[in-house]
Amino acid sequence: MRKKNKRARQIRIFLFFGLLLALFIILIVSTVGSKEFNAPHKLALEVIGTAQYYMTRISGGVKNSWQNYTALIDVREENVRLREELRKHKAINNEYREAVAINVRLAKLLEMKETIQAPTLTAEIIGVDPSQWFKTVIINRGSSDGIKDGMPAVTSEGVVGQVTNTSPHFAKILLATDPNSALDGLIQETRVRGVVKGGGAGFHMEYVLKNNEVAKGDRIVTSGIGDIFPKGIPIGTVAKVEKAGRGMFQEIEIEPAADFSQLEHLIIVMKKDPLAK
Amino acid sequence: MVLGILFFSGTLLLVLQTTLLNYLPEWFGRPNLSFLFIVFLGTYLDLYKGAVLALLFGLIMDIFSGVFLGLHPVIYLGLFFLLQFISKHLAIKESIHQIPLVALSYLFTASSIFIFTSILTPESRLYWAWGNEILQVLILSVICIPFFNFFHWLATIFDSTKADNHYRRQKTGNRYRIQQ
Repeated sequence: MRKKNKRARQIRIFLFFGLLLALFIILIVSTVGSKEFNAPHKLALEVIGTAQYYMTRISGGVKNSWQNYTALIDVREENVRLREELRKHKAINNEYREAVAINVRLAKLLEMKETIQAPTLTAEIIGVDPSQWFKTVIINRGSSDGIKDGMPAVTSEGVVGQVTNTSPHFAKILLATDPNSALDGLIQETRVRGVVKGGGAGFHMEYVLKNNEVAKGDRIVTSGIGDIFPKGIPIGTVAKVEKAGRGMFQEIEIEPAADFSQLEHLIIVMKKDPLAK
Repeated sequence: MVLGILFFSGTLLLVLQTTLLNYLPEWFGRPNLSFLFIVFLGTYLDLYKGAVLALLFGLIMDIFSGVFLGLHPVIYLGLFFLLQFISKHLAIKESIHQIPLVALSYLFTASSIFIFTSILTPESRLYWAWGNEILQVLILSVICIPFFNFFHWLATIFDSTKADNHYRRQKTGNRYRIQQ
């Protein structure tokens, strides 16, 4: 009788864990390789994203206090340097005013239409990818703010990345430096096109034929092809060109325009149809 | 109870790693605490409880790292089962053996991510940076023992029976003696 009970208990345990295992396998198989968040993913992002938000607030406060303290140490030297810089910038500013005035006059002469900029939204980075392999960040804006998958993210310096997943209050951005990121670029001087791919710390440009002229220091901007990134946003500058290898294409390394190590705030370009091809 | 505490602790570690630890300079290195936590689960918990937690952390990690869903659950579960297998055949509960265990487990995880991602996106070029990997291995090797001791202490508070047995087992004389 005792043996029978023990056996029945064992069968129940096996059935329970067998069912649990089957559910796990179904869960894993259904998610492997996919890129879309499902409801549990969104819920987890909401909960942990909130924790990240408050932790970023606390750590940001501590960091600011520390920076303020260290800044006081050499504030005198900094002050002298800043005054000198201010004087220079005032002079440059005067030149710019003149340039703007000329530009406005020429624009009127050419009857250029005003370019309509897509609306933008500022977002703060609240979490950074802990892995060394991938480059993604979490921002404090989500689908309730109008953020959609595929929207481009930029800073005042240049291209940063693209929205890949959203939950109501948070979103995940795939940085342009991630190896899985690719965007269409254009060399500003020569108008040569290529695909700019993430390379961990920087970018590299692919599919540029060896007979195209590319030099160190050339500026790369978005081409606007694919209708994802607006045309003309800085991507970076050419840091190294290699033509010696085999194949038809050059190896081009690019120094990013945006400083990815100092990212804190991003601008999301709120395009109506961000995944349009 | 202990599962709930470990789940909460693991989530807190992930939040810390994605926020506060990110302020550490890159040359100093940023310890992968979530990975260390999975190794702890693999050596401390039993098969069923540990597998559930490893799977859950893998699913959560997918949200905050990388672009492919399912990558971390598969790798974390693989690592967990490997650690369970090793812990049954080797005396890895002793501190001195935990350092090489952590180092090898990290290299296993990193190479698994590298291989799986290369298979999922053959057009993307992943870069294996030995400098970063060795730095991470060194950091993890240094912090693993205090980390494991802390979590072991934390778990013992909520799971005293298991902890007593664990210590009693460690302090027996000849562990290789065949039991009569």
